[in-house]
Amino acid sequence: MTRRVVITGLGVFSPVGKNPSELFGNLMAGHSGIGHIQAEFSEKLSIRIAAQIQGYNPADHFSKIKLSGIERFSQFALIAGEQAVKDAQLELAELELPRAGVCLGTCMGGASTLEEGYVEVFQRKIPRIKPLSVLLGMNNAAASHLSLAYHLQGSNITYSTACASSAIAIGEAYRQIKDGYADVMLAGGSEALLTHGVMKAWEALRTLALEDAADPTASCKPFAKDRSGLVLGEGAAVLVLEDAERAVRRGARIYAEIAGYDCSSDASHIAKPDAAGQTRAILNALRDARMQPQDIHYINEHGTATLAGDIEETKAIKQAFGDHAYRVPVSSTKSMHGHLMGATGAVEFMVAVLALQHNAIPPTINLHHPDPECDLDYVPNVGRRDVELNAVMSNSFAFGGSNAVLIAKCFS
Amino acid sequence: MSTLQTIQRMMVEQFELKAEDLTPDAQLEALGLDSLSVIEFMFNIEDEFHIKLPDERVEIKSIQDIASIVERLVSEQQKAVS
Repeated sequence: MTRRVVITGLGVFSPVGKNPSELFGNLMAGHSGIGHIQAEFSEKLSIRIAAQIQGYNPADHFSKIKLSGIERFSQFALIAGEQAVKDAQLELAELELPRAGVCLGTCMGGASTLEEGYVEVFQRKIPRIKPLSVLLGMNNAAASHLSLAYHLQGSNITYSTACASSAIAIGEAYRQIKDGYADVMLAGGSEALLTHGVMKAWEALRTLALEDAADPTASCKPFAKDRSGLVLGEGAAVLVLEDAERAVRRGARIYAEIAGYDCSSDASHIAKPDAAGQTRAILNALRDARMQPQDIHYINEHGTATLAGDIEETKAIKQAFGDHAYRVPVSSTKSMHGHLMGATGAVEFMVAVLALQHNAIPPTINLHHPDPECDLDYVPNVGRRDVELNAVMSNSFAFGGSNAVLIAKCFS
Repeated sequence: MSTLQTIQRMMVEQFELKAEDLTPDAQLEALGLDSLSVIEFMFNIEDEFHIKLPDERVEIKSIQDIASIVERLVSEQQKAVS
């Protein structure tokens, strides 16, 4: 039994928007959420650029009793999840709960909790660590808090596949419904890794964007000749996925149908992106969607702005799309929201779905000096409105070689 | 400030509970504190009173339970130091 899967609710908490309409409005306007990191350790970093959620006060969202047991990355997931559930006007009857679940992605889960604990024990030589550290820090905490909040009794699975984590979480949740294992799924990702230690680890890898001296908010420059790397970000995005029949029956507002998903592994290098593996993921997803390249009207690219990554992805799109590669607009909104790691695939797929809904394509900003090796239509600097979009794709290509591609189309 | 008063003050600060609800016999569960919140609270109690909780589990149901344990440990562990 193969069923159709639709998206009926959206929620997001990101550096460029604390709800879906704010996010999409800012992206269309080319606003950047990237800037100097505000943290007490910022002086100790060589690269002080990040995409932080500004003006976040946990007490605005949670009581003090709750906060002691909910880590920053779980807080983000709960905030995005609440938006999505409300947006979908989702109500689950007692009997439906065992067929409702959650799939989330994250890379580093409760990074700050573990780091604070290590500082206490190893640096301050304090012999004990906060008693809830395990429950706060574990990677599956965010998904579990969503399951608890909405009594979801079906699957509760956390995917950790680096930059592809939340794209895979959405894809696997889609399969759960498509293949009849569930009727409703919350799917997305959450990440809160802007900590001293994590930032240092990324610095050491030499993949972070250098600060743009003239304009720090323009430090992330996907596909540009002067690009220098990615910008780490934090936040969460959660979507409500639903069996199409159920959604239609209850008269839900349907944003789009998930038309296809698949993944692949490069199986070639732990860090170096590989166009062949990426091409396989794109073709697999098209096959799942029973679509041809020309059916895709917009691609939200992985587009991290690393030197190698942008070239490989450009090659992959050419290999998979042939001549159509030059005609399909592709953009990297990471130029504005940064790389949200385990949450990034979900944020970007949501952006693609919002593009479909609004018939509007957000730009790749900071693209003033094109790289001859990146020669597709990246929608440079200015978004496009009044474009007819029937189907969109979102690419997520991870360290470790894990690639995932999602396709959404208008529901009819 | 008595042990009980200190505990009450800490509860108000840590959990934003109302001081008037924090009677000695108030049940922690009824105040909205689950077992994990209690573990978290006892961690701060150790700091405040400079004591170390024993490794074996102790039954803590009410505010008075906390005060009794604190007073016992303070007296035992200060004796041990002096």
